Amino acid sequence: MDELDLLKKDWQKSDNSYPKLSYNDLYKMILKKSSSIVKWIFIISIIEFVFWLMISFALKDTKSMERFKEFNADAVLIPLAAVGYIILAYFFYIFFRNYRNISVTDNAKVLMENILKTRRAVRHYVGFNLGYLIVSVIVVLFIEFDQDPQIIAQVQKAAADGEVLKFYAIFILTTMLFLAIAIGILLLFYWLVYGILLGRLNKNYKELQKMEV
Amino acid sequence: MSEELEHSFIEQLEKHQNIVHKVCRLYTNNQDAHNDLFQEITIQLWKAFPKFRGEAKFSTWMYRVGLNTAITLYRKKKRTIRTEAFDAFEFKIKSEEYDDTEEQQLKLLYQAVHQLNDIEKALVFLYLEDKNYKEISETMGISEVNARVKMNRVKTKLRTILNP
Repeated sequence: MDELDLLKKDWQKSDNSYPKLSYNDLYKMILKKSSSIVKWIFIISIIEFVFWLMISFALKDTKSMERFKEFNADAVLIPLAAVGYIILAYFFYIFFRNYRNISVTDNAKVLMENILKTRRAVRHYVGFNLGYLIVSVIVVLFIEFDQDPQIIAQVQKAAADGEVLKFYAIFILTTMLFLAIAIGILLLFYWLVYGILLGRLNKNYKELQKMEV
Repeated sequence: MSEELEHSFIEQLEKHQNIVHKVCRLYTNNQDAHNDLFQEITIQLWKAFPKFRGEAKFSTWMYRVGLNTAITLYRKKKRTIRTEAFDAFEFKIKSEEYDDTEEQQLKLLYQAVHQLNDIEKALVFLYLEDKNYKEISETMGISEVNARVKMNRVKTKLRTILNP
């Protein structure tokens, strides 16, 4: 007899050794709240959507944006904002569609795939936002250099001093540093979320995939 | 949800609760973790119950939800402390027909199963519950051939753990 058969014999005899929970014990259990990863994924994903939406609203009311409105930049800024909202609506739709597809009664592989798909929608949205942030910063810089009297005056002063290259270098490096910090914080967030929440799921999903090779 | 639905669910769960206990037995190492996982599986079963149409047996449906919760949905709590051989002591069947050698062998076997990864445990669980490879493949979402191949590998792995 192999090892598992010996175990099976014992396993099937063990039915009377488990605790017997009463009707009332079980009733109390169904009133409690779930702490499954799907619930946490939902909460974190919604926070991410709200976070990016708040960032776009928060930026709108800043003094520099108010000043920015005086420039002749509507032709660029309005389409940029419209694209941002359309993409947000698209990802939100994809996220909810995938979320609704998660069913604990699917087989293990499909369930894992649906959970990962839901997260992927949010991850793509965040990736899009990073790209959007970089494009927006570049567009804003071009407009500033082209139309902002203060910056134009500074460039002219730097040019008169023969330090125009140094001026541009400082400007570009500062911008890159700002972007790098923002991206770094986001990557840290992802490392934590994926590590804590999805580490085990990813490992198990890979294990199932490995079987199919 | 209606009281009737609640009543019907709890009655069936009460009758088949051993399935949930058995899943917990394989995936946890102490009583606290056992209770936590039991509760989460119960909640998931209850949430999914309105969609249970009775095409499959309630017990078959429980296997799927129970394993999915243990493998995918359940978040292990930090306070879970690994206690050695909890399983063999907690659930040992006291019976005359057990001699020391067999008892010792079973204890080592349960410990070895606890060292398997989540997916391997699921395969072992379904095997111990006398499910055929068709049912195993449907529950896990892999082909029958692959379920068979993997099961043989798990047996070899268990042998290696037992006889390093």
